[in-house]
Amino acid sequence: MRPGLYPLVLMLATTAHSVMAQAPASAGEELFERNIRPVLVTKCFACHSSKLKAPMGGFTVDTKAGLAAGGARGPEVVAGKPDESRILHALSYTDNTLQMPPTGKLPDAVIADFRQWIELGAPDPRKDAPATSATPAPLRGMSIADGKKWWSFQPVKELPAPAVKEQAWGRKKIDAFILAKLEENKLKPSPEADKKTLVERAYLDLVGVKPTYEELQAFVSDPAPNAYEKLIDQLLASPHYGERWGRHWLDVARYAEDNSTSEATNPPFAFAWRYRDWVIEAMNKDTPYNQFVKLQLAADLMPGTPRDDYRALGYLGVAPVYHKEPRLSQEVLYTFATDDWDERVDAVGRGLMGLTVACARCHDHKFDPIKQTDYQGLAGVFASTMRAERPMRADLDPKVETRYLWVAQRLFDMNVIMGILSTGEKQTNPEWAAKKLEGMKLEQKQLQAEIATLKDRYPEMVAHVARIGTIIRSLPVALQPDTKADEPDAAADAKADIAAVPATAAAKAPAAPRPGRRGALASDEPFMNAVYDAALYVDGKDPFMTEMDYRPGEPRDLPLFKAGNVANPGDIVPRHFPTVLAKSDEESKFFQGSGRAELGDKIFSDAAPLSARVIVNRVWDWHFGKGLVGTASDFGTQGERPTHPELLDDLAARFIANGWSLKWLHREIMLSSAYRQSSALREDAEQVDSTNKFVWRMNPRRLDIEAYRDSIMHASGTLSDKLYGVSIDFDDVKNDRRTIYSRISRGRLNTVLRLYDFPDPMQSSPGRDLTTTPLQQLFVMNSQFIQKQAETFATLADNEPDNAAKIRKLFHTILLREPNPTDIDRGMTYLAQATLAQYAQALLSVNEVIFWP
Amino acid sequence: MTTSRREWIQSLCGGLGSVGLLGSLASTSAQAATTVHYAGPAIAHKAKHVIFLFLTGGPSQLDMFDPKPSLAKYAGQRPAAVSGFRTERETGGLLPSPFKFKKYGRGGVDVSELCPQIASVIDDVCVIKSMYTFNPTHTQGKNLAHSGSILANRPSMGAWVTYGLGTENENLPSFVVLSPNTEGSSLWRAGFLPSEYQGVPFNSSETDPEKMIRDLRNKQLDPQAQRKQLDLVQAMNQDYSASFGADSFLEGRLKAMESAYRVQFEAMDVFDVRKESEAIREEYGKNSWGNSCLLARRLVERGVRYIHLYPAGAPDPIVRPDWDDHKDIFTSLRTRCPNMDQAAGTLIRDLKRRGLLDETLVVWGGEFGRTPVSEAGDGRDHNPYGYTMCLAGGGVKGGIAYGATDEFGFRAVENRVSIHDMHATILHLLGMNHERLTYRYAGRDFRLTDVYGEVVKDIIA
Repeated sequence: MRPGLYPLVLMLATTAHSVMAQAPASAGEELFERNIRPVLVTKCFACHSSKLKAPMGGFTVDTKAGLAAGGARGPEVVAGKPDESRILHALSYTDNTLQMPPTGKLPDAVIADFRQWIELGAPDPRKDAPATSATPAPLRGMSIADGKKWWSFQPVKELPAPAVKEQAWGRKKIDAFILAKLEENKLKPSPEADKKTLVERAYLDLVGVKPTYEELQAFVSDPAPNAYEKLIDQLLASPHYGERWGRHWLDVARYAEDNSTSEATNPPFAFAWRYRDWVIEAMNKDTPYNQFVKLQLAADLMPGTPRDDYRALGYLGVAPVYHKEPRLSQEVLYTFATDDWDERVDAVGRGLMGLTVACARCHDHKFDPIKQTDYQGLAGVFASTMRAERPMRADLDPKVETRYLWVAQRLFDMNVIMGILSTGEKQTNPEWAAKKLEGMKLEQKQLQAEIATLKDRYPEMVAHVARIGTIIRSLPVALQPDTKADEPDAAADAKADIAAVPATAAAKAPAAPRPGRRGALASDEPFMNAVYDAALYVDGKDPFMTEMDYRPGEPRDLPLFKAGNVANPGDIVPRHFPTVLAKSDEESKFFQGSGRAELGDKIFSDAAPLSARVIVNRVWDWHFGKGLVGTASDFGTQGERPTHPELLDDLAARFIANGWSLKWLHREIMLSSAYRQSSALREDAEQVDSTNKFVWRMNPRRLDIEAYRDSIMHASGTLSDKLYGVSIDFDDVKNDRRTIYSRISRGRLNTVLRLYDFPDPMQSSPGRDLTTTPLQQLFVMNSQFIQKQAETFATLADNEPDNAAKIRKLFHTILLREPNPTDIDRGMTYLAQATLAQYAQALLSVNEVIFWP
Repeated sequence: MTTSRREWIQSLCGGLGSVGLLGSLASTSAQAATTVHYAGPAIAHKAKHVIFLFLTGGPSQLDMFDPKPSLAKYAGQRPAAVSGFRTERETGGLLPSPFKFKKYGRGGVDVSELCPQIASVIDDVCVIKSMYTFNPTHTQGKNLAHSGSILANRPSMGAWVTYGLGTENENLPSFVVLSPNTEGSSLWRAGFLPSEYQGVPFNSSETDPEKMIRDLRNKQLDPQAQRKQLDLVQAMNQDYSASFGADSFLEGRLKAMESAYRVQFEAMDVFDVRKESEAIREEYGKNSWGNSCLLARRLVERGVRYIHLYPAGAPDPIVRPDWDDHKDIFTSLRTRCPNMDQAAGTLIRDLKRRGLLDETLVVWGGEFGRTPVSEAGDGRDHNPYGYTMCLAGGGVKGGIAYGATDEFGFRAVENRVSIHDMHATILHLLGMNHERLTYRYAGRDFRLTDVYGEVVKDIIA
């Protein structure tokens, strides 16, 4: 905005009293009032006002004193000497490290005004109110020393169970902590839920479906005093346990199979499903949680790890990436690369340690004891980690693999660039384009020849590389080796080149994935979406085409980016673990490769108490619908404090002592009296504690979409028990798999999943917000899925002798209970004018089906 | 007509159902959770609704609103000012616009011959010629235009607006997206805001509501039979509530069921532009643009808060449907503009005729503009450094052009308006201070405008 156009009103409003109180103004003062001050107000106050808690650079311009004093870097205005005034360099954009305002250079006329004003001695006619004349200290986050004392970083230790009055209630140690707090607040726990509710709760919680009527009856009629314990053990041993708890983890791991957009450089992840399957398997095996996480960060760097476990690397390998359009400048693509790294820092920070490390990307954390250097120390780990489609086979020479991964990526990138150069569009710089294309063709031929030598030992790798071009450009796999190099059409030429070498290998390979822009690219070729150690640099040497430069085996320490801006690099920051969590500064640094393995180690050594608290709280949250800490992914100063700190500490300490076993934790929680409480509302308790933070009842909930859909299908007998495999479209009429096997797209999340609050897989999710909307009910009332299910249920009741028996049968299968006389009457009346399927649909639509008491 | 429809629907709703009155906004029993989250200072405002006409791909300001005679004078040359001017692709010399510009309305606003209908309502339009944004690629540019961030994970403006202001009609989504495909759903995401604020997409390449909205109609039951089924469901639900006790979910879903039942009929009516007179449909144009704009007007009449349109298509299939004219730009614009112009111009005229323009802010623009230099001889590349957006209604000054680009139209130089400033201004027009519409997530308070944005007060009436 041009200052001259600023209405007088604005100036009067901000300057009236000082202007009127002044003697006739000097030319410099007039210039200040007319042309300088309005710019300061509109362009600078947002970041440089004494009213801010943390003015940028400690520099304020809304007061005379502040403007004269300068900021953290010293004086900004040197009266009479424009060339020595930093402010003028910043405004002129001549200083590479400081360009203001950051949103864009001001018009030359305005900069000239500033120059003239400084030449005139930089007179500032303002009179500061005494109270605001002193610049308040900028807001800083907690110091490292204070941070070391923060509650969630303290060691965890087992605590004695607190004394309680009502001795008879508790069953597990958890209960003593819960009851003590209830008694302290003059509350009583709720009675145990009825058996039906309890069994449904246990089934939903551990295997993600309600029991069938028969399964329910089996439990209810089991007279054994330990029937409930037996049930929990039986469910924990079910292979469907991994599907339920794997899905919880996948929310945190922001699992998906593609990117938010699907351009040339960020195609879908064809093997993402292998990571999903690994998570399920690992959960079923009760892989210790610390091992479970370390494998996801660094399976390939942990000696002795079976190749099969490299699938765990999908945690990083299917993380969202942004398209790196090679025609953009180096600076822009470098920024995109830092955005990718930032996502990993955030996922690891919030997802694994409950820390908002990513808040420190542009500056030290405003609240938590995390420095910008700590952020960059982690970002460097991910700048040294490249995503790659790695072969599944175990008998790979590591050197061959590393070289192969590099060549495959290089061929992929060149393919994108050659595609641009050979689209047949007129080029503004044809000579450059021709030369570039020529050079790339040569390099491509050499690399393809190199790959071809792997044909005998690694045919699947050769075949995989052969498809690179076809996948990117959605070309048919039909390859025509005789369309050779001297064809005039550059595009056809490029295609032929890509095809030329590996054609024979491709012919032998398994059926190629169907090319498509999105989603349909899942493949069961023997590869996995993983990562390996390679530093990424963004190469801006070519003025027209920016290329990615991968350096395998080479780690990369990043410079501090001032204000997060890649064009403003500062000192190099060694890769390291956040200072406040590290046992000592010395030992916080990472030396081995990218540092992923050391990062995983530190999370479970130096930061073990925090990491244990975070996962114990998540598990509690998933069992109770509400965590002991309300902000599951933020254990910093901006997060909530635990409602039961001693309980959380004791449970975390015992969780560690029990080998980080999630199944141990489930038993500990689910066998407690606290967990077994009824969820019915009690007026007396609600008046004292309306949000149930003291756990005087179980929290009633709505089923998530997975449990909802899978339970209905389980009850109708249409749910496949098959485990694992390539994903299937949620809406596919043939989809009889559990919902965890539905394809998850970042760009086009399935409508029903979206309607039922599936979390946005662009970022690590702390939990689901379960909503209730009319559009969800349209699915219940009108969808083909529900209608088909209703028909199936009706078929199950077809053989019953009369309507009363049919009603009873449908109540058993859908609602898992006996109908009462009113239910029968209503059903009979309804069936007099409607079909059994329509009746079944009505039963499927009632609250009882989707409610989780 | 309305009365008889109302009676008809009333006749369908026995027992528990209260009626969502068509056109009326008072659906008493469904008024469950229309929460207003904006907690900042009250700002005098007129706008209650937004209709955003998004021209995907980046429309050419130089051929519609921002005439630059110097392009003809230096045609084919590459002025020194261009050096270091990096866009997405390689560009060549200056490419003059072949379209004739004239000045229209009381403010003498420039409009080219491509947009005669917009020109005819220019006294209600504010043409902002000095827009700029921060990225020359589509994905990032669109993210910026929608959410103020290049990242594809922040809430869309429509989500922010409905989060802030709540809804006026519980029977319809408050953030409606009309798009010919659901590609790019990241653009209407709720991000970290609660998922009820995400945009609900409707397929605007269809005119039959049944095809536009998933599961809208029951294919097996007629309304009376469905009502009977629902009565049975609700009776059981009430029994269950009585036995379980008070619970907000049980109560909320009972109401949501009733709303859903009514949405079926309300949507069949509201989303059906074929219910409009032939004359009105002709006025808007019977094509993607005309249908979408007409539908947007119908939605505003029903109290929908925020409508984002992505009309696409040109009468000639050989012309690309979006505005990303890297080549052959003039032929494409000639083919594509008439539908857009007719629909946009008619929308403004029609809203005004119905007394809705004051309370409805119409926004026109894409993720960026296009370059004055040519690409591939007869195209224009992306230009985020200077482009045009238009605002109409909702308390905006009409008949003015605001700001200016440089001599050639590369960069905004006068009264520059960033995309953050635009967002701040839109929120202001809706009565919200952009610094006070915040949501706490992952340890900090997020805003649509991040740490930027400045309300462009000069264009507010």
